[in-house]
Amino acid sequence: MALEAYASRNPDTVHADVLSKARQACYKARDAFYACLDKESNKRPTEIASVGLLYPSECKNSRAEFDKHCRASWVKHFDRQYCRNRRVQRLLDDKDSRRGPLMLPQPYTFKSS
Amino acid sequence: MPISRFLFFSSKRSSTQQALNLLKRCGPSKRIQSCNYTKSSGGFSNGKTRAHSVTSVETQASRSWAVYAVPAALLGFAGLATLVHYNDERRAIPKGQGNKSSGNTVKGPTIGGPFTLVDTENRIVTEQNFHGKWVLLYFGYTSSPDVGPEQVQIMAKAVKLLESKYNSEILPVFVTIDPQRDNPSQLRAYLNEFDSRIIGLTGPVSAIRQMAQEYRIYFKKVEEEGDDYLVDSSHNMYLMNPRIEVARCFGVEYNAEELSEAILKAMISTPT
Repeated sequence: MALEAYASRNPDTVHADVLSKARQACYKARDAFYACLDKESNKRPTEIASVGLLYPSECKNSRAEFDKHCRASWVKHFDRQYCRNRRVQRLLDDKDSRRGPLMLPQPYTFKSS
Repeated sequence: MPISRFLFFSSKRSSTQQALNLLKRCGPSKRIQSCNYTKSSGGFSNGKTRAHSVTSVETQASRSWAVYAVPAALLGFAGLATLVHYNDERRAIPKGQGNKSSGNTVKGPTIGGPFTLVDTENRIVTEQNFHGKWVLLYFGYTSSPDVGPEQVQIMAKAVKLLESKYNSEILPVFVTIDPQRDNPSQLRAYLNEFDSRIIGLTGPVSAIRQMAQEYRIYFKKVEEEGDDYLVDSSHNMYLMNPRIEVARCFGVEYNAEELSEAILKAMISTPT
Protein backbone atom coordinates (compact mmCIF):
# COMPACT_ATOMS: atom_id res chain seq x y z
CA MET A 1 0.00 0.00 0.00
CA ALA A 2 1.21 3.49 0.67
CA LEU A 3 4.23 2.29 2.60
CA GLU A 4 5.59 0.22 -0.23
CA ALA A 5 4.96 3.04 -2.65
CA TYR A 6 6.87 5.40 -0.38
CA ALA A 7 9.77 2.97 0.04
CA SER A 8 10.07 2.39 -3.67
CA ARG A 9 10.05 6.08 -4.43
CA ASN A 10 12.78 6.96 -1.97
CA PRO A 11 16.09 5.19 -2.48
CA ASP A 12 17.84 4.13 0.66
CA THR A 13 20.92 6.28 0.29
CA VAL A 14 22.61 7.66 3.35
CA HIS A 15 24.30 10.99 2.90
CA ALA A 16 27.38 10.50 5.01
CA ASP A 17 28.61 14.05 4.66
CA VAL A 18 26.19 15.32 7.28
CA LEU A 19 26.87 12.69 9.89
CA SER A 20 28.84 13.44 13.00
CA LYS A 21 32.34 12.67 11.75
CA ALA A 22 31.98 14.70 8.57
CA ARG A 23 30.44 17.54 10.54
CA GLN A 24 33.34 17.65 12.95
CA ALA A 25 35.84 17.69 10.09
CA CYS A 26 33.90 20.51 8.48
CA TYR A 27 33.83 22.55 11.68
CA LYS A 28 37.58 22.12 12.09
CA ALA A 29 38.35 23.25 8.56
CA ARG A 30 35.98 26.17 8.98
CA ASP A 31 37.62 27.29 12.20
CA ALA A 32 41.08 26.97 10.66
CA PHE A 33 40.06 29.11 7.71
CA TYR A 34 38.53 31.84 9.81
CA ALA A 35 41.49 31.82 12.16
CA CYS A 36 43.73 32.38 9.16
CA LEU A 37 41.49 35.25 8.09
CA ASP A 38 41.72 36.86 11.49
CA LYS A 39 45.46 36.41 11.58
CA GLU A 40 46.05 37.93 8.16
CA SER A 41 43.47 40.66 8.58
CA ASN A 42 45.99 43.38 7.82
CA LYS A 43 46.74 41.94 4.37
CA ARG A 44 44.74 43.03 1.37
CA PRO A 45 41.91 40.63 0.49
CA THR A 46 42.32 39.64 -3.11
CA GLU A 47 40.58 36.30 -3.41
CA ILE A 48 36.85 35.83 -3.61
CA ALA A 49 35.28 33.33 -1.27
CA SER A 50 31.52 33.35 -1.59
CA VAL A 51 28.56 35.61 -0.81
CA GLY A 52 30.80 38.65 -0.99
CA LEU A 53 33.50 37.52 1.43
CA LEU A 54 37.04 38.36 0.37
CA TYR A 55 40.19 36.90 1.79
CA PRO A 56 43.92 37.40 1.29
CA SER A 57 45.82 34.94 -0.83
CA GLU A 58 47.74 33.66 2.19
CA CYS A 59 44.67 31.74 3.25
CA LYS A 60 44.14 29.98 -0.03
CA ASN A 61 45.14 26.59 1.32
CA SER A 62 42.83 26.65 4.29
CA ARG A 63 40.08 27.83 1.99
CA ALA A 64 40.62 24.80 -0.22
CA GLU A 65 40.41 22.52 2.80
CA PHE A 66 37.26 24.25 3.93
CA ASP A 67 35.66 23.80 0.55
CA LYS A 68 36.65 20.16 0.43
CA HIS A 69 35.25 19.12 3.79
CA CYS A 70 32.01 21.01 3.77
CA ARG A 71 29.04 21.15 1.50
CA ALA A 72 28.70 24.21 -0.71
CA SER A 73 25.52 25.39 1.00
CA TRP A 74 27.21 25.06 4.36
CA VAL A 75 30.20 27.06 3.15
CA LYS A 76 27.91 29.85 2.05
CA HIS A 77 26.00 29.72 5.32
CA PHE A 78 29.16 29.96 7.40
CA ASP A 79 30.58 32.74 5.24
CA ARG A 80 27.45 34.76 5.62
CA GLN A 81 27.48 34.26 9.37
CA TYR A 82 31.12 35.31 9.54
CA CYS A 83 30.42 38.50 7.57
CA ARG A 84 27.54 39.33 9.88
CA ASN A 85 29.63 38.85 12.98
CA ARG A 86 32.50 40.89 11.50
CA ARG A 87 30.14 43.71 10.64
CA VAL A 88 28.75 43.78 14.16
CA GLN A 89 32.26 43.79 15.58
CA ARG A 90 33.29 46.63 13.28
CA LEU A 91 30.24 48.58 14.34
CA LEU A 92 31.08 48.15 17.99
CA ASP A 93 34.75 49.00 17.51
CA ASP A 94 34.26 51.92 15.13
CA LYS A 95 31.91 53.75 17.42
CA ASP A 96 34.57 53.84 20.11
CA SER A 97 37.36 55.11 17.90
CA ARG A 98 35.24 57.84 16.33
CA ARG A 99 34.27 59.44 19.58
CA GLY A 100 37.78 60.33 20.59
CA PRO A 101 39.07 60.68 24.14
CA LEU A 102 36.35 60.23 26.67
CA MET A 103 35.77 62.63 29.48
CA LEU A 104 35.99 60.50 32.55
CA PRO A 105 34.21 61.85 35.61
CA GLN A 106 36.73 63.76 37.72
CA PRO A 107 36.64 63.30 41.47
CA TYR A 108 34.74 66.18 42.92
CA THR A 109 36.28 67.87 45.86
CA PHE A 110 34.16 70.48 47.51
CA LYS A 111 36.26 73.36 48.66
CA SER A 112 34.52 75.56 51.13
CA SER A 113 36.06 78.91 50.88
CA MET B 1 -34.50 44.04 30.69
CA PRO B 2 -34.45 47.49 29.08
CA ILE B 3 -38.28 47.37 28.68
CA SER B 4 -38.78 46.78 32.39
CA ARG B 5 -36.44 49.66 33.11
CA PHE B 6 -38.45 51.89 30.79
CA LEU B 7 -41.71 51.00 32.56
CA PHE B 8 -40.02 51.59 35.89
CA PHE B 9 -38.89 54.98 34.64
CA SER B 10 -42.31 55.93 33.25
CA SER B 11 -44.07 54.97 36.46
CA LYS B 12 -41.63 57.17 38.35
CA ARG B 13 -42.40 59.90 35.83
CA SER B 14 -46.13 59.76 36.54
CA SER B 15 -45.50 60.23 40.23
CA THR B 16 -43.24 63.16 39.44
CA GLN B 17 -46.10 64.59 37.35
CA GLN B 18 -48.31 64.52 40.42
CA ALA B 19 -45.58 66.16 42.44
CA LEU B 20 -45.13 68.81 39.76
CA ASN B 21 -48.90 69.52 39.69
CA LEU B 22 -48.83 70.07 43.40
CA LEU B 23 -45.93 72.47 43.03
CA LYS B 24 -47.75 74.31 40.24
CA ARG B 25 -50.82 74.81 42.37
CA CYS B 26 -48.78 76.16 45.23
CA GLY B 27 -46.73 78.52 43.11
CA PRO B 28 -49.34 80.73 41.34
CA SER B 29 -51.37 81.23 44.52
CA LYS B 30 -48.37 82.84 46.13
CA ARG B 31 -47.76 84.99 43.09
CA ILE B 32 -51.40 86.06 42.92
CA GLN B 33 -51.11 87.19 46.46
CA SER B 34 -47.99 89.15 45.65
CA CYS B 35 -49.67 90.75 42.60
CA ASN B 36 -52.55 91.95 44.77
CA TYR B 37 -50.14 93.52 47.16
CA THR B 38 -48.31 95.45 44.45
CA LYS B 39 -51.57 96.57 42.78
CA SER B 40 -52.87 98.07 45.92
CA SER B 41 -49.59 99.87 46.69
CA GLY B 42 -49.68 102.48 43.86
CA GLY B 43 -49.78 103.53 40.24
CA PHE B 44 -46.08 103.36 39.37
CA SER B 45 -46.02 99.76 40.44
CA ASN B 46 -48.12 98.72 37.39
CA GLY B 47 -45.15 98.42 35.09
CA LYS B 48 -43.31 96.68 37.80
CA THR B 49 -46.06 94.14 38.32
CA ARG B 50 -46.08 93.38 34.61
CA ALA B 51 -42.27 93.00 34.56
CA HIS B 52 -42.59 91.09 37.75
CA SER B 53 -45.15 88.77 36.20
CA VAL B 54 -42.90 88.32 33.11
CA THR B 55 -39.93 87.42 35.23
CA SER B 56 -42.09 85.26 37.45
CA VAL B 57 -43.37 83.43 34.33
CA GLU B 58 -39.81 83.00 33.20
CA THR B 59 -38.63 81.70 36.53
CA GLN B 60 -41.69 79.49 36.61
CA ALA B 61 -40.77 78.08 33.17
CA SER B 62 -37.14 77.51 34.06
CA ARG B 63 -38.11 76.19 37.43
CA SER B 64 -40.59 73.71 35.95
CA TRP B 65 -37.95 72.43 33.55
CA ALA B 66 -35.53 71.97 36.43
CA VAL B 67 -38.33 70.50 38.47
CA TYR B 68 -38.87 67.94 35.73
CA ALA B 69 -35.25 67.17 35.10
CA VAL B 70 -33.64 66.92 38.51
CA PRO B 71 -35.86 64.20 40.04
CA ALA B 72 -35.79 62.30 36.76
CA ALA B 73 -32.01 62.38 36.73
CA LEU B 74 -31.83 61.33 40.35
CA LEU B 75 -34.22 58.45 39.80
CA GLY B 76 -32.37 57.38 36.67
CA PHE B 77 -29.11 57.36 38.60
CA ALA B 78 -30.72 55.36 41.38
CA GLY B 79 -32.01 52.85 38.81
CA LEU B 80 -28.57 52.49 37.26
CA ALA B 81 -26.97 52.02 40.65
CA THR B 82 -29.40 49.25 41.58
CA LEU B 83 -28.81 47.56 38.26
CA VAL B 84 -25.03 47.55 38.70
CA HIS B 85 -25.34 46.36 42.28
CA TYR B 86 -27.65 43.53 41.26
CA ASN B 87 -25.26 42.46 38.52
CA ASP B 88 -22.33 42.48 40.91
CA GLU B 89 -24.19 40.28 43.36
CA ARG B 90 -25.05 37.86 40.63
CA ARG B 91 -21.46 37.57 39.32
CA ALA B 92 -19.70 37.59 42.64
CA ILE B 93 -17.61 34.61 43.65
CA PRO B 94 -17.11 34.58 47.40
CA LYS B 95 -13.54 34.77 48.58
CA GLY B 96 -11.68 31.51 48.66
CA GLN B 97 -13.91 29.66 46.28
CA GLY B 98 -14.08 29.78 42.56
CA ASN B 99 -12.64 27.77 39.71
CA LYS B 100 -8.85 27.96 40.03
CA SER B 101 -7.98 25.59 37.22
CA SER B 102 -9.72 27.65 34.57
CA GLY B 103 -7.16 30.41 34.94
CA ASN B 104 -3.99 28.38 34.29
CA THR B 105 -4.60 26.87 30.88
CA VAL B 106 -2.87 28.79 28.12
CA LYS B 107 -5.35 29.81 25.47
CA GLY B 108 -3.38 30.16 22.31
CA PRO B 109 -3.84 29.04 18.72
CA THR B 110 -4.81 25.40 18.53
CA ILE B 111 -1.54 23.83 17.50
CA GLY B 112 -1.44 20.19 16.71
CA GLY B 113 -3.38 17.66 14.79
CA PRO B 114 -3.37 14.17 13.39
CA PHE B 115 -0.53 12.93 11.25
CA THR B 116 0.59 9.74 9.50
CA LEU B 117 4.29 9.33 8.95
CA VAL B 118 6.95 6.68 8.55
CA ASP B 119 9.59 6.05 11.17
CA THR B 120 13.17 4.87 10.83
CA GLU B 121 12.13 1.20 10.77
CA ASN B 122 9.74 1.86 7.91
CA ARG B 123 6.66 1.49 10.08
CA ILE B 124 3.69 3.79 9.92
CA VAL B 125 3.36 6.06 12.94
CA THR B 126 0.36 8.20 13.76
CA GLU B 127 -0.30 10.50 16.63
CA GLN B 128 -2.20 7.73 18.41
CA ASN B 129 1.13 6.04 19.05
CA PHE B 130 1.99 8.91 21.36
CA HIS B 131 -1.14 8.69 23.45
CA GLY B 132 -0.41 8.44 27.15
CA LYS B 133 3.19 9.64 26.91
CA TRP B 134 4.94 12.98 27.13
CA VAL B 135 6.55 13.85 23.82
CA LEU B 136 9.24 16.36 22.92
CA LEU B 137 8.81 17.15 19.27
CA TYR B 138 11.42 18.80 17.07
CA PHE B 139 11.13 19.68 13.40
CA GLY B 140 14.50 19.70 11.71
CA TYR B 141 16.54 18.16 8.93
CA THR B 142 19.77 16.21 8.85
CA SER B 143 21.61 18.56 6.50
CA SER B 144 21.48 21.48 8.89
CA PRO B 145 24.94 23.04 9.30
CA ASP B 146 24.87 24.12 12.92
CA VAL B 147 21.51 24.81 14.53
CA GLY B 148 20.00 21.43 13.80
CA PRO B 149 22.71 19.30 15.43
CA GLU B 150 22.81 21.67 18.39
CA GLN B 151 19.09 21.36 18.98
CA VAL B 152 19.08 17.60 18.68
CA GLN B 153 22.00 17.47 21.09
CA ILE B 154 20.08 19.63 23.56
CA MET B 155 17.04 17.40 23.14
CA ALA B 156 19.07 14.26 23.83
CA LYS B 157 20.74 15.79 26.87
CA ALA B 158 17.44 16.98 28.29
CA VAL B 159 15.94 13.51 27.92
CA LYS B 160 18.93 11.98 29.68
CA LEU B 161 18.70 14.57 32.47
CA LEU B 162 15.01 13.94 32.95
CA GLU B 163 15.60 10.25 33.24
CA SER B 164 18.59 10.31 35.53
CA LYS B 165 17.92 13.28 37.78
CA TYR B 166 14.15 13.59 37.81
CA ASN B 167 13.14 10.04 37.07
CA SER B 168 10.51 10.93 34.49
CA GLU B 169 10.16 9.60 31.02
CA ILE B 170 9.70 11.60 27.90
CA LEU B 171 9.75 10.51 24.29
CA PRO B 172 11.92 12.56 21.91
CA VAL B 173 10.68 12.76 18.34
CA PHE B 174 12.48 14.26 15.36
CA VAL B 175 10.34 15.05 12.34
CA THR B 176 12.21 15.94 9.22
CA ILE B 177 11.18 18.94 7.15
CA ASP B 178 13.39 17.75 4.31
CA PRO B 179 11.72 14.47 3.37
CA GLN B 180 13.20 14.38 -0.11
CA ARG B 181 16.73 13.86 1.19
CA ASP B 182 16.03 12.40 4.63
CA ASN B 183 14.88 8.87 4.09
CA PRO B 184 14.45 6.46 7.03
CA SER B 185 17.95 5.01 6.93
CA GLN B 186 19.49 8.47 6.79
CA LEU B 187 17.47 9.46 9.83
CA ARG B 188 18.49 6.29 11.60
CA ALA B 189 22.17 6.89 10.97
CA TYR B 190 21.90 10.53 11.99
CA LEU B 191 19.89 10.08 15.16
CA ASN B 192 21.81 7.10 16.42
CA GLU B 193 24.78 9.35 16.94
CA PHE B 194 22.83 11.41 19.45
CA ASP B 195 20.52 9.07 21.28
CA SER B 196 19.00 5.77 20.25
CA ARG B 197 15.68 6.69 21.88
CA ILE B 198 14.96 9.52 19.47
CA ILE B 199 12.24 8.52 17.07
CA GLY B 200 12.77 9.83 13.57
CA LEU B 201 9.78 10.47 11.37
CA THR B 202 9.65 11.14 7.70
CA GLY B 203 7.22 10.46 4.92
CA PRO B 204 5.88 11.74 1.62
CA VAL B 205 6.18 15.46 1.08
CA SER B 206 2.42 16.03 1.29
CA ALA B 207 2.16 14.36 4.69
CA ILE B 208 5.07 16.38 6.06
CA ARG B 209 3.63 19.58 4.68
CA GLN B 210 0.26 18.85 6.25
CA MET B 211 1.81 18.13 9.63
CA ALA B 212 3.91 21.29 9.44
CA GLN B 213 0.81 23.29 8.74
CA GLU B 214 -1.03 21.76 11.68
CA TYR B 215 1.89 22.47 14.00
CA ARG B 216 2.46 25.97 12.61
CA ILE B 217 6.03 25.23 11.51
CA TYR B 218 7.58 27.53 8.94
CA PHE B 219 10.02 25.88 6.59
CA LYS B 220 11.40 26.91 3.24
CA LYS B 221 14.15 25.78 0.92
CA VAL B 222 16.87 28.36 0.57
CA GLU B 223 20.23 28.52 -1.20
CA GLU B 224 19.06 26.02 -3.73
CA GLU B 225 21.74 24.72 -6.07
CA GLY B 226 20.36 21.58 -7.62
CA ASP B 227 20.43 18.92 -4.95
CA ASP B 228 22.23 21.03 -2.39
CA TYR B 229 20.06 23.32 -0.34
CA LEU B 230 19.40 24.49 3.16
CA VAL B 231 15.99 24.59 4.78
CA ASP B 232 15.15 27.72 6.68
CA SER B 233 12.81 26.93 9.55
CA SER B 234 11.51 28.10 12.86
CA HIS B 235 13.58 26.01 15.25
CA ASN B 236 10.98 25.23 17.85
CA MET B 237 10.53 22.30 20.15
CA TYR B 238 7.03 21.36 21.14
CA LEU B 239 6.12 19.62 24.34
CA MET B 240 3.06 17.40 23.99
CA ASN B 241 1.17 16.04 26.97
CA PRO B 242 -0.25 12.48 27.20
CA ARG B 243 -3.52 13.73 25.71
CA ILE B 244 -1.73 14.55 22.44
CA GLU B 245 -2.14 18.28 22.99
CA VAL B 246 0.66 20.77 22.56
CA ALA B 247 1.41 22.10 26.02
CA ARG B 248 4.45 24.30 25.49
CA CYS B 249 6.82 25.59 22.88
CA PHE B 250 10.57 26.08 23.36
CA GLY B 251 12.85 28.17 21.18
CA VAL B 252 16.58 27.95 20.56
CA GLU B 253 17.40 29.95 23.65
CA TYR B 254 16.84 26.99 25.98
CA ASN B 255 19.80 24.86 26.93
CA ALA B 256 19.48 21.31 28.22
CA GLU B 257 19.14 22.14 31.92
CA GLU B 258 16.56 24.86 31.43
CA LEU B 259 14.65 22.63 29.05
CA SER B 260 14.52 19.71 31.47
CA GLU B 261 13.42 21.98 34.31
CA ALA B 262 10.68 23.55 32.24
CA ILE B 263 9.47 20.14 31.08
CA LEU B 264 9.41 18.90 34.65
CA LYS B 265 7.41 21.90 35.74
CA ALA B 266 4.89 21.30 32.98
CA MET B 267 4.66 17.61 33.89
CA ILE B 268 3.97 18.35 37.53
CA SER B 269 1.41 21.06 36.93
CA THR B 270 -0.71 19.09 34.49
CA PRO B 271 -3.28 16.86 36.10
CA THR B 272 -3.44 13.51 34.32
